[in-house]
Amino acid sequence: MGQVPDTREQITAAGYACIARFGPTRTSVEDVAQAAGVSRATMYRYFPGGRAELIDAVVTWEYRRFFLALYEALRGAETLEEVMERGLMVAHQAIEEHEVLQMILRTEPEILEPALSAEGQPTRELVAEFLTPYLERHELRPGIEVDAAADFLARMVLSYMGSPGQWNLDDPIQVAELVEVELLSGIMPISS
Amino acid sequence: MRSLTPRQFSSYCLAVDSAVRSNAVVVPLRPVSAPEVTKRVAIVDGALACIAAKGLRLTTVDDVARASGMSRATLYRTIPGGREAIIQATVETEVARFFSALAVAMGAANTLEAALVDGITSSARWLSNSPALTTLLEVEPWVIMQHVSFGQMDRALALAVDFTGPFFGRWLEPAQAARAADWAVRIVTSYLSNPSDTIDLTDPIQVRDLLRQFVLPGVHALQERNRS
Repeated sequence: MGQVPDTREQITAAGYACIARFGPTRTSVEDVAQAAGVSRATMYRYFPGGRAELIDAVVTWEYRRFFLALYEALRGAETLEEVMERGLMVAHQAIEEHEVLQMILRTEPEILEPALSAEGQPTRELVAEFLTPYLERHELRPGIEVDAAADFLARMVLSYMGSPGQWNLDDPIQVAELVEVELLSGIMPISS
Repeated sequence: MRSLTPRQFSSYCLAVDSAVRSNAVVVPLRPVSAPEVTKRVAIVDGALACIAAKGLRLTTVDDVARASGMSRATLYRTIPGGREAIIQATVETEVARFFSALAVAMGAANTLEAALVDGITSSARWLSNSPALTTLLEVEPWVIMQHVSFGQMDRALALAVDFTGPFFGRWLEPAQAARAADWAVRIVTSYLSNPSDTIDLTDPIQVRDLLRQFVLPGVHALQERNRS
């Protein structure tokens, strides 16, 4: 069934378009109201906290969209190794090529803070949940529990994808090495 | 990054320790007398008390002078450069204190496992026992979070890997020691910024079990590769 996009969503999407075009610093409540085709009064009914609340809602909205897209991109992966390797590469590339994110990181990175704080735990749980069926399907090293392994892998993937440190996540050979040693060596059974 | 013999290593620990004691990290360009070092430490500790009480943004030079029991004039003479210089001296001193505590913990370890467990536990304890850090994470989280997000985290990683790598160098080749250090830093930042219901990083038994499950098999695989 078709759904009427709600006004809040419409304003948030317009807010994202404005930030992408003008940058976060130069995006005003008026710009967003105009782009969304709503009055200032409507705007403040949905976002009583004004600009700060609106920007935070936009960041959170895009943050969730980012992980949903990632989720879709990885759904076809077959094995645990494949999902980890592709996940790291796709996620890292998506972060590097996310023009709006990179612009915010250059100009006003502090606007990311509320979303990063609030979404940290749900994201970790989402990634862990996504990995769970792969772990369940796989033979694991004796003593390894699926939940604990999923949580550990989610933490590590989230750490490496945003800040690769000494790793080049565009290089499939390096990514395979990272996945084999740092991520899966305690989880996979010892190969004979 | 280099690997250290036990002897080099103990002199390294002593050097870090004395650097912190004499406050060499925040030493000004001209020679300083002992009372002046004491004054600098008093100012830094005053600033930390202010940050613990109300965060960074609301902390003024007057607050720091009051908390350190000094006149504004003495404060400006001891650390020229005003509020910004005081904050920088405070950050540098705290970073040096953190690494010094970490050096002591890792230096006492006799096995690779102990170096990892003690390094992680000591870091987690030091960070969660810092009143200034606790307040900042509550009232101005971005001050801290910016350093563990995206590209800034890469810089923090490089610093931590440079410092802890040599300790792991007692058991691993330099490139592998850097990997182990990078890995350990990610564990500390992940569990501190995103606490777990089941794992307390300040508890050495829990850390040891976590590492035995998920980290040590990989570290040992790296060691094995060296031998073959």
